[in-house]
Amino acid sequence: MIIVLVFLLVAPVIAALVALVAPARACNVVTAVAGAGSFAAVIVLIPTAAHHDVTLGSYLRVDALSVVFLLATGFLYAAVAVYLIGYLRVDRNSPAELRHARRLQAGLNIFAWSMLAAPMMSSLALLWVAIEVTTVVSALLVALEGTAGAAEAAWKYVLIASAGLGIALLGTIFAYYAGEQILGQSYDLTFVPLLHAAAHLPRTPVRLAFVLAVLGFGTKVGFFPVHTWLPDAHSEAPAPVSALLSGSLLAVSFYAILRYYQVAQAALGSGFPRAVLLTFGVASLLFAALSLLDQRDLKRLFAYSSVEHMGILAIGVSFGAPVALIGVLLHVLAHAAAKGNAFMGAGVMLRKFAVKHVSGVKGGLDLLPWSGPLLLVTVLALSAMPPFGIFRSEFMIVAGGFESSRDIFAAILVVLVTVAFLGIAATTNAMLLGPASDSTGPTTISRGEPSAWMVAPVLAGLVVLLVLGLHPPAHLTELLARGAAELRGPA
Amino acid sequence: MHTLAAADPAPSVFAGGSNVIALIVLLLEFGMLRQAMRRDQIRLYAVQSAAISVLAIIVAAARNLPDLYALAFCSAAIKVVVVPVVVRRLLPRPGQQGAGDEIAGSGALSVASTVLVAIVVAAFGFFAIGTLPIRSPILPITALAIAFAVVLVAFVLMILRRDVVSQAIGFFSLENGVSLAALVVAATMPLIFEVVFLFDLLVAVVVFGLLIRVHHGRAESLSTSELTSLRG
Amino acid sequence: MTLPIPLIQALQVATIAIGAPLVSGVISRVEARLQGRRGPRILQPYYDLAKLVRKEALAPEGASWVFLAAPLVACAAYLTVPLLIPVLTTYGLPLGYMGDILGGGFILSLASFVVAVAALETGSPYAQMGASRAKTFAAITEPVVLFVVFTVALLTGTDLPYVLAATVRSSAGQLVRPAHLLAAAALFMVILYETGRIPVETHTGTNEFGMIEEARPFEHSGPYFALLKWGSWMKQLILYTILVNVFVAPWGLAATARPADVGLAIVTLLAKAAGIGIVVAVIDNSFAKLRLFKITEFVAGAFLLAVLGVFTLYLGGG
Repeated sequence: MIIVLVFLLVAPVIAALVALVAPARACNVVTAVAGAGSFAAVIVLIPTAAHHDVTLGSYLRVDALSVVFLLATGFLYAAVAVYLIGYLRVDRNSPAELRHARRLQAGLNIFAWSMLAAPMMSSLALLWVAIEVTTVVSALLVALEGTAGAAEAAWKYVLIASAGLGIALLGTIFAYYAGEQILGQSYDLTFVPLLHAAAHLPRTPVRLAFVLAVLGFGTKVGFFPVHTWLPDAHSEAPAPVSALLSGSLLAVSFYAILRYYQVAQAALGSGFPRAVLLTFGVASLLFAALSLLDQRDLKRLFAYSSVEHMGILAIGVSFGAPVALIGVLLHVLAHAAAKGNAFMGAGVMLRKFAVKHVSGVKGGLDLLPWSGPLLLVTVLALSAMPPFGIFRSEFMIVAGGFESSRDIFAAILVVLVTVAFLGIAATTNAMLLGPASDSTGPTTISRGEPSAWMVAPVLAGLVVLLVLGLHPPAHLTELLARGAAELRGPA
Repeated sequence: MHTLAAADPAPSVFAGGSNVIALIVLLLEFGMLRQAMRRDQIRLYAVQSAAISVLAIIVAAARNLPDLYALAFCSAAIKVVVVPVVVRRLLPRPGQQGAGDEIAGSGALSVASTVLVAIVVAAFGFFAIGTLPIRSPILPITALAIAFAVVLVAFVLMILRRDVVSQAIGFFSLENGVSLAALVVAATMPLIFEVVFLFDLLVAVVVFGLLIRVHHGRAESLSTSELTSLRG
Repeated sequence: MTLPIPLIQALQVATIAIGAPLVSGVISRVEARLQGRRGPRILQPYYDLAKLVRKEALAPEGASWVFLAAPLVACAAYLTVPLLIPVLTTYGLPLGYMGDILGGGFILSLASFVVAVAALETGSPYAQMGASRAKTFAAITEPVVLFVVFTVALLTGTDLPYVLAATVRSSAGQLVRPAHLLAAAALFMVILYETGRIPVETHTGTNEFGMIEEARPFEHSGPYFALLKWGSWMKQLILYTILVNVFVAPWGLAATARPADVGLAIVTLLAKAAGIGIVVAVIDNSFAKLRLFKITEFVAGAFLLAVLGVFTLYLGGG
């Protein structure tokens, strides 16, 4: 198992180095191999992690909870690595475009590396460092397009997210202070001893650390009201970057919050941490649902949908019932697959029509024989239509809400998710189902896909969504159950 | 007549002195808030970082924590020397496009209002933290309250300033506030983490620098007043 | 042998009254040296006073008795304040308890008020402009002074200047208390404003754009003008005395009533005041004058210091 952890930490770095120097074809192969290899490596981890933790040295530790998040990142990494082959084939003509392609490929590898590293860290300090690395790398990737919009989005992103992480660092420091009271000086912020000692930790510092961590990491998760960077960054970044940002980065940041949640729950009881998460969750969900109603831009639409789903995650955790927690972890996976698909599909669409605004796109279903229907199905999956994974996970979360007699909030969740669905459906409807030849402007776009490489990962994503929705594999079910048990704590 | 007693026993010289340094950090934050010249703002940041290093050395000597000497040295090397040099390099040179705007973009509020807002915010940080039952054997709790005030004023700086360099400096000084808090409650943290945090800051500085370059290259100014196209 | 207490009390006033022109002379001299000039004699202010007293006194047409009474009232006020503050002794003198720090502040404000009223009497644009500016900015410096007083009151449980000086002397910890240092710094900034120094005002110039303090006695002449000038020097020395003997360095005061001790205290006070004066002169030569509209910012800075002082004190760590 240890070799797997090492592979996960080494392969993306090697791929990034290769991507900086090797010829284009080799870059594609190495990146795809690193991505697929990482995904396979995480899958190998599932049966083991479903029963016991894997540790390497004192600073690497993987338990069921981390593997869930590794799985989300691993899958998206693989999907994006393949998608990139098609995405980059179109523009590798001039030296400038070649350089841009190299940077994008190397940057994506490093980005994936940092997100794979974060859930493996056993120390809260290193977790913070890994997440800070994801910020700086992804900020550069957002700026990569070189347009005015990209520069603006990257600046907002790096400034807001860094400030948020500054708050999270304060939280980390208070976690250390709390731990130091019990575990003695030179305590290295490792997670397991902190959790074991949680019952004796002083309450005020733990409370402070939890709130600061939720606010700080919540900035990167995209909780309202600290989400403001999110729609900009997601809409201005290149499509593969958006896919990773939305499906994986937000989840990894949420993972950090979950770690603090575990400690806070053990030290303070479940009341306070759940109330905090519920507040942020409902606020985010409400805000996102209302924003979705009036959104004309495809990628912004999906970005607000991410805020919505992160809100659902927070609400799910605050319900606290085992079925809700399993639902939350399943939701992480399903959302990663669905949102990855959505952004990759949007990337195809934008490439095809060379626009970003939804009003410029008409009749996608006619012109894109594969991507059009796939995007339509993805949107349905994203809106929690059966038989896809998100339906199953949201159903479990709502069921958990009723189980822990939080009926009102479960009902609110259902209503808001429906509102969000209306918003998404109205927009994509116009884009996909309208007639191909509109009176506005010359539509000389011929029927056909830009590249088969850009379709394959979307297909894979849909398969994953179907599997998660219809019949999750036994090992995965075990893993989710154990992860939920870890989240729930011993009590 | 000859016995004129103090009502309130004075804190020890160590506590008083370290509180004074913490206050100097806060005052420098206020200085950055109202400083209009970019270069002077960077200079104030360097002085602020130096003040924190000095405090680290004092704590190291008084509380016998030799690790802190190393931390003070690293932090001084990075935050007093490297970061200001890097940021100053990023400013447009005389004669270059945009060199005319030596003076940072005006804030969203007038200077006096900004300072008043910052005072209110700082007071909030002060009293919010000061009343918590947190005690540290290293430094008085006042220093922690001041650290929170520094963080909050840094937020005011980032929010109300309208140019990229000032906003970046705001973030860096926010990190200084966090360092100050770390000195109070986490001075015994293993050195390796503290150093990793510092290098993380360095990476962030480089990225901020690259993005400032990108922005300057596109907009030919350092003002953020153009950055309003993404909404909704 | 000990001096009678009333005599010491009188000496407090006399020291301020007679020493004030001397301190002013020292500052002008240092300033001139810093600018590379030889500068006037140190005793020049005394000669100026003597010259003015011999001159004819004129009043603008239409000015009422207020115009002529103002210099006298102001001078009287400045002679009263030294009774309240520790000028020479560590122990409180009998009249020292007739007013606290606020009382002293009120009397100083009264002096400033009558001078302003006299300036309004004249009908001269410059004098009126100076008076109105002075009152405008005073509206901001007053709260600063109040906060400084609050700080003192919180530090000592009373607002008697004697007690604060004793508190500061009691331990080194008191001296480095943040609240104390902040209050002292705020007070110093107010003093720069009140004595019309850079960066608020050019002390020696007669540039009407920047004039505040200097513009007010524009229409007075002869002995009245001498009184006003003397009064402003006394005010300067009083403020310096409060700063050094109450806040920054309350050492070297006489603890007994022996003539040698009291004499030494007089010399020490003048030396300390001259030291502050040199600092002020250096600031005068190192900074540029602020634009008139920026003066609010300068005073706001003082306000910030004073407010922070009270904050830290309330946290218990100040």
